[in-house]
Amino acid sequence: MHRRCFLRSGFITLAGCLGGCRGNQYAEVKQPGDPGMVGSHQAGAETWQPLMHEAVAKLLGRHAAARQVGPNGLPPPPLRICFVGVENKSSEEIGDFKDQIYEQIDTKILESQVFQPVSKRFVDAGLMQTRLRPDMLMIPANQRMFTAVMEQQGQPFDYLLYATITSGTTRENKDYQRDYLLTMELVDIHTGQYDKQAATLSKGYYHSRLSRLVKG
Amino acid sequence: MTDDRSLIDHRRYRLRPLICLSLAVSCLLFAAVGCATHERRLLAIRDGFYSGDLIEAETALDEGLKRDRRDGEVLLLERSIVDLAEGRPKQAEAALRTVRDRFEELEGARLGKAAISLITDDTYKAYCGEDYEKVLIRAFLSLANLLGDGQDAAAYALQVTDKQQQIIEAATKDGDGNNPKLAYKQVALGPYLHGLIREATHSNYDDAARASSLVVSWRPEFRYGRADLERARHGRHSAPGNGVLYVFTLVGRGPYKEEAIELPTQISLLIADRIISATNKYSLPPTIAPVKVPKIVVPPNYITNVGVSVDGRYAGPTETITDIGRMAAEQHEAIYPRIIADAVVRRVVKKAVVLGAKEALGANQATMTSIALDVVGIAWEATEAADTRCWGLLPDKIQVLRVELPAGTHVVTLQPISQYGTNGGAEQQTVTILDGRNTYLLANFPDARLVGRMVTNEL
Repeated sequence: MHRRCFLRSGFITLAGCLGGCRGNQYAEVKQPGDPGMVGSHQAGAETWQPLMHEAVAKLLGRHAAARQVGPNGLPPPPLRICFVGVENKSSEEIGDFKDQIYEQIDTKILESQVFQPVSKRFVDAGLMQTRLRPDMLMIPANQRMFTAVMEQQGQPFDYLLYATITSGTTRENKDYQRDYLLTMELVDIHTGQYDKQAATLSKGYYHSRLSRLVKG
Repeated sequence: MTDDRSLIDHRRYRLRPLICLSLAVSCLLFAAVGCATHERRLLAIRDGFYSGDLIEAETALDEGLKRDRRDGEVLLLERSIVDLAEGRPKQAEAALRTVRDRFEELEGARLGKAAISLITDDTYKAYCGEDYEKVLIRAFLSLANLLGDGQDAAAYALQVTDKQQQIIEAATKDGDGNNPKLAYKQVALGPYLHGLIREATHSNYDDAARASSLVVSWRPEFRYGRADLERARHGRHSAPGNGVLYVFTLVGRGPYKEEAIELPTQISLLIADRIISATNKYSLPPTIAPVKVPKIVVPPNYITNVGVSVDGRYAGPTETITDIGRMAAEQHEAIYPRIIADAVVRRVVKKAVVLGAKEALGANQATMTSIALDVVGIAWEATEAADTRCWGLLPDKIQVLRVELPAGTHVVTLQPISQYGTNGGAEQQTVTILDGRNTYLLANFPDARLVGRMVTNEL
């Protein structure tokens, strides 16, 4: 009986091992309103999405209010805006989020009908042709050169728009809090005046569940 | 009469597990033959490739891919290098992507096979790649894609850094609570590729600067790193009317694995099992069979750089962005205690099974059954083979040179340089540089001679 037990248990263990478990990858389509994942080590969709929504909505809201119906009863034509790019000055890599942030901001601006953005393809072509860095466009001579190239392409514009991501980190032993700031800066190329809108979000990173429960 | 019969039945009954064990050991011995075949095949592939006979290498690869399922992933990796050398970046990318996905799948599926490997050896498990291989697959994917349409190269380059981070975070801590994988050298090729792609957009210099600063911190020896960082911070991709040529060279023969005998562990196990046997009713099989473990071998590399000339004018030497040989050796050293621990656990499990069989049969020390089971145990342990599967056609180093050139057609000449001066024949390739764009060229120099052809993204 003893031997039978030994052999039977050995066989079951072996069969169990042979069966194993296959390492399949699973996925699901998230519906709007479904809770998304939260980046455990750095910012993800849970950070960038609300920052983008807030900053763009505030900026567009302010300008939409300022642009009332004209004396002839018609709405004024949308202002042409050249969205130069998103600059990441935070302490984190944002990887594939950067282009998505650009595209989402660009789409929201276009949908607002307050501004008429210049296509990114023209902006990139203009920068390549002039070999100007986005941060060099504030120098008057560079700005004139860039404006001229864009006009040659049939894409004149009134405003330059920059989006900048910054972060600030506060540490408490092994845990830390990171404050993310998305700033949208709109510069009128005719007058040099600028408008700024920022959105901020703070996120806590904890080294254990217990720490999150206690401090969170 | 009845008593005799029952005695015979009893003996038969007692011998049945012994026969089962003997059969199992015979099967394992038969299975172990396959491992030697892998080493032989890799030798044939490496010989063919390094002698420039890519057809021989391909024949050996095709043969292996047809026959051996357990080596399939490794052989596909070798295939990708041959494809790259032959100027087939799309095929190389497809093979690399298959292996990347398979390794990802296997990372979460090792429990069952790992349990089986305790009673056989690591060669039983499907190969899920060494850490450096997993990272380099993504780096080579990015390179292969740049030589094709380049649409996914940035994504692959980001995956290089992501994977490194994942590997470090998922590592099991040692007894002192330290993560042995924190000592891993990071692959600077990933951020380098990401930086050069972002710089060529002319609007993402911040990404390029971030990537370049990673390159500088991960590989401070890279001579061109600081200039790249400076350009990304304050300069521009190229002057108007110019484009950029990136020359990537795969230099030297890369690391491979060999079976080695871990003598100190074997002796320690032998002493331990003799002590247990002396103090126990049932003896343990003595550790006579050697404990075999894989060891990384990095062949000497005589080629230090590759000199690049454009239209007859010397542009500079390629510099190492990733030292694969050194990285493989250091990673192996970091996880070596774990390899030994696995080998010890495997031996302990096998001895425990034999001990269990002895207890079940009541085979006290010095009985025929006990001796027979010891012989079976020794034979079982002797079937173990070290898992020497690896990506055997990797170069020792990946090197790069960036050259800014006027838009138009240029003749590029590459010549390997050894520590004694130029070595081997110069090879030429015509490239077309586009205004404001990057052009890529890849060449394989495992020795002083080019293997395959120079590949550019204009094909």
